[in-house]
Amino acid sequence: MRKLTRAVGRLPVHLRIATAVLALIVLSVALGAWIAPYPPAEQDLVSRLAPPGASHWLGTDHLGRDTLSRLLDGGRFSLTIAALATVLTAAIGTAIGVLSARRRGWLDEFFTRTSDVLLAMPEMVIALFLVAALGAGYPSLLLALTVTGWTPFARLARALAYDVSARGFMDAARVLGCPPWFIVLRHILPHLAGPLLGQATLRFGQFLISVGALSYLGLGVQPPQSDWGSMLAAAQPYAVRSPMTMLAPGLVIFVVALCVTLLGQHLARMSGSTLLLAASVPTAAAGHG
Amino acid sequence: MMLFLARRTAALVAAVLLASFAVFLIPYVTPGDPVRKIIRSRVSGDMVDGSAVESLSLQLGLQDPLWTQYLRWLGQLIRGDMGLSYTSRTPVVEQVLPALWITLSLVVMTLAAAAMVSVVLGVTAALTEGRAADKAITALNQAFIAMPEYWLAPMLVLVFAIQLSVLPSAGWEGPTSAVLPVAVLALRPTSHFTSAVRDGMLEALAADHVVAARARGLSRFDTVRKHVIPNGLLPLTTLVAVWFAGLLGGSVIIEVIFAIPGMGRLLFDGVLNSDIPLAQGAVVLVVGLAVVLTTAADLVHGLLNPQVRMRHA
Repeated sequence: MRKLTRAVGRLPVHLRIATAVLALIVLSVALGAWIAPYPPAEQDLVSRLAPPGASHWLGTDHLGRDTLSRLLDGGRFSLTIAALATVLTAAIGTAIGVLSARRRGWLDEFFTRTSDVLLAMPEMVIALFLVAALGAGYPSLLLALTVTGWTPFARLARALAYDVSARGFMDAARVLGCPPWFIVLRHILPHLAGPLLGQATLRFGQFLISVGALSYLGLGVQPPQSDWGSMLAAAQPYAVRSPMTMLAPGLVIFVVALCVTLLGQHLARMSGSTLLLAASVPTAAAGHG
Repeated sequence: MMLFLARRTAALVAAVLLASFAVFLIPYVTPGDPVRKIIRSRVSGDMVDGSAVESLSLQLGLQDPLWTQYLRWLGQLIRGDMGLSYTSRTPVVEQVLPALWITLSLVVMTLAAAAMVSVVLGVTAALTEGRAADKAITALNQAFIAMPEYWLAPMLVLVFAIQLSVLPSAGWEGPTSAVLPVAVLALRPTSHFTSAVRDGMLEALAADHVVAARARGLSRFDTVRKHVIPNGLLPLTTLVAVWFAGLLGGSVIIEVIFAIPGMGRLLFDGVLNSDIPLAQGAVVLVVGLAVVLTTAADLVHGLLNPQVRMRHA
């Protein structure tokens, strides 16, 4: 913990602010059930579409539900799914990348071609296809993000593992008779950790936007549960009367994505990997959008 | 070179076949009787009774093994027969082709806008490296990447279409209706292009022949114009091709928000209404086109740059 605070203290000012904002949002979402001023589903039909004020800090939606409380509640889904997708794709991608670099040959060829092809597949189209085949909801959402999402990690891990393999200590480890799993754990993965962390941070921001996009289209989180994307979609018809209801969820997504992007780019630079920026590929538009 | 070409083409064919097989399977894996679903996409009449289903399923070969059915379906697809849409009861091809045209024009306009803006931003940033303009452009870029389009788009509609009423809020008629969708869709590619142009320019600025040109007394302006810009903008060409494929599917959300009758909208409607033939046709077309475009860009890149061939052959 001390180490972490010291690391944050060394950051440039704007990154310290980004870290603080991010920590504040994540913490309030995590504690949402305790600190929310109202239950997220509580309707107050008398004060529908109320503007921000003392009793409702961010106003209310078309059913008189408190926007702030709904943001805190909805954030759990948005952040959890994005985090889950990040961890899943990072694990799968790293495993595939390291395996490709170790085995080389046809396996490497196969995975490289597969990732080339998947990169060309728009995430959103894959998501729509999966929804058509499996129905809307949590599993399709996660699967859609994972199917295409592992490729940037695999490319990065493969390139880095190739680089590491050419170093002297790898020969030394082989000559000493170290088993392959030991070489991977002790010599390869530590070299990958920094750049992969940067990549994962950047990808988290993009996943958050993608999750919001799919929920916005009604393909993600299903009612009665809601997340930031579905809140945005629900508020849109009433945007003229109550802009804040629509402004708030999008702003949170934007702020979190921005903080995460700033931190991710910093991590990428710090890990000294020029490969990272070359390997990070357009998504989301692609993506998720 | 031949090996490079052969491998790329093999990967392309394999990918398209695999994707088409996955799409072919949709009626079989979704809930309900696949035979009835397929008959409905092939026979224009109303739903038929039991005995007719029996004879039609024999007639359409729906009792054959799956791979025979797949090959037949693929054959029909190649001849441009994608079946009948459940909702409109007209051939899917007749809906898909005009929509594809609309999406293509949206994507081309977006890429043109993004490329123009990013050249200006990227060149400015590189020439003012480390100073205020460069920092401002970098910050702008980061904001573009983090911007959810489905938030920005309705807000721009609120301001420009509803408050100021200077632009239409939706539809695809006339040049003004393209302004907002293109502006929103262009953000991400602009951000990506700008950082690529900036990096390319910085690299080109540091090159020996640029220093030599300055040393020979060529003015800074002429040096940049003749020696830096041509090299600095090179990375942009590949990126545009990559994004072309990406935006084909990436325009779904923009088309839905702005009610643009393009491929994305069609695909979304197909999925939402469980219109299987429509969804199948749209997915096959978008994915097929995206894969072909990416491979083509790769091949051109390989032709222009022998290093790429060597690395990936």
